[in-house]
Amino acid sequence: MQAQLETLSGLERRLSFSVPRDQIASKVNARLKSLSKTAKIDGFRPGKAPMSIVSQQYGFRVQEEVLGETVERSFADAVQEQKLSVAGYPRFEPKDSAEDADFQFAATFEVYPEVTVGDLAGVEVEKPTLEISDAEIDKTVDILRRQRTRYERITTPAEAENRVIIDFKGTIDGEPFEGGSAENYAFVLGKGQMLPEFEAGITGMKEDEVKNVEVNFPADYHGKDVAGKTATFEITVKNVAQAQLPEVDAEFAKTLGIADGDIAKMREEVKANLEREVRFRLKARAKESVMSALIDASPVELPKSLVGLEIGRLAESAQADLKQRGIDPKLVPFSPQMFEAQAKRRVHLGLVLAEVVKANGLEAKPEQVKAIIEDLAQNYEDPTDVVQWYYEKRERLAGPESMALEDNVVDFVQSKGKTVEKPVSFEELMGQQQQA
Amino acid sequence: MTQFTENRLLQVLRAPVVSEKSTFVAEKNEQIVFRVSTDATKAEIAAAIELLFKVKVEAVQVVNVKGKVKRSGRFTGRRASWKKAYISLVAGQEIDLSAAQ
Repeated sequence: MQAQLETLSGLERRLSFSVPRDQIASKVNARLKSLSKTAKIDGFRPGKAPMSIVSQQYGFRVQEEVLGETVERSFADAVQEQKLSVAGYPRFEPKDSAEDADFQFAATFEVYPEVTVGDLAGVEVEKPTLEISDAEIDKTVDILRRQRTRYERITTPAEAENRVIIDFKGTIDGEPFEGGSAENYAFVLGKGQMLPEFEAGITGMKEDEVKNVEVNFPADYHGKDVAGKTATFEITVKNVAQAQLPEVDAEFAKTLGIADGDIAKMREEVKANLEREVRFRLKARAKESVMSALIDASPVELPKSLVGLEIGRLAESAQADLKQRGIDPKLVPFSPQMFEAQAKRRVHLGLVLAEVVKANGLEAKPEQVKAIIEDLAQNYEDPTDVVQWYYEKRERLAGPESMALEDNVVDFVQSKGKTVEKPVSFEELMGQQQQA
Repeated sequence: MTQFTENRLLQVLRAPVVSEKSTFVAEKNEQIVFRVSTDATKAEIAAAIELLFKVKVEAVQVVNVKGKVKRSGRFTGRRASWKKAYISLVAGQEIDLSAAQ
């Protein structure tokens, strides 16, 4: 069994094998013989069928099996012997071989690239910072207040920002049309929820007022039947209400879960939550920057097969995601190109990270993992339960472990490279989508 | 051999019998075993074999195999009876069944 290695291009390698025929034939025979001891064939008692009939029945299958095994084994042997690290799956192809000649085949595959982590000393890593001051807390409290807006009935004419409850009946040329009327319809003026002409008509109306308003539907209106037409709406205003933001007082604090209504305590709580959130997001940003720096510093030729596998995985998870949202994945056209850039980045990162971790001994330590789990558990009502849940099964630790690993890498790169502190604004940080 | 029509001869042979006994007699007596239609005669069988396999037949022996009585609950039934033919060829000739099928 000889294996010949050729380098095709870049990371592609081909191993050519040649196995003597009689070696395969003797294996097939041995296997058929042992099979004939137990084979059950119609017309014969088990094990009593003659060889010729057994080989007629099973010969082809056994031959295939033996060939498959030979291919796999000789490939594995050759890989071990030549110390190759194969990336992805090899592609086997039989070479045309005559009956009496040796059985020949070739395996084409890619090897893992040599990863050399670039010099990290010169790398600039961004480290975003944000101090939480009273202003940030005020902003958050404001958002909380807005979420608890109450509306109070007023008898003055309706203005922008007021909520109105109306009945309306719409007609086009005296004919009612579908979706043109409603009762007890509530909306807030000035938010663009309705057509501008409609809202303008209501502005200035009081409770119990009735008015006819003409509305020209724009030509590109989503309702095809009425687009471009003029409709008359008979509007009855039933209720006008003004938005009332809750005062920051004991009552408000209680709705936020502070039992004794202490405002200072509430602000403390808000601050703690904010700090946790901000720390989390700052870390994610710093990580993002470190990972980009690592990728930039270490160019690697990516094995196509790994990228292909990654694309497959990404596409699969995207489809699963769609399914969960109740969309038939078949309706959404997927093309591998959509995921290519992302897949490349992930493969690249995976290769570089593995190298950095190996070279510098940055494996996750148990106590780190524990700290991370406890930190995660803080967000839940019953932290000890959560911690226990994580430690119940080995697989569940994989997530926190990789987080610890990433933290280690981030720290490592930050300590090696030039860290640039960069203040970010509160809005920018909180508005940003979570990326990791 | 011309006293039988080809159409008739094509209906005589049903299937080769592959069993322990048939392989045994093939070795010991150099006979081959066929399932044949129940109304076939020895002469017809010989003619059919010679027509289909282009060999010379020495002799034909036949046996009627009674169908087994099978019961399912309180109903008894009988499987169809069939005719089996042991055919000896002229010395030195043989039929390769795996190729003829």
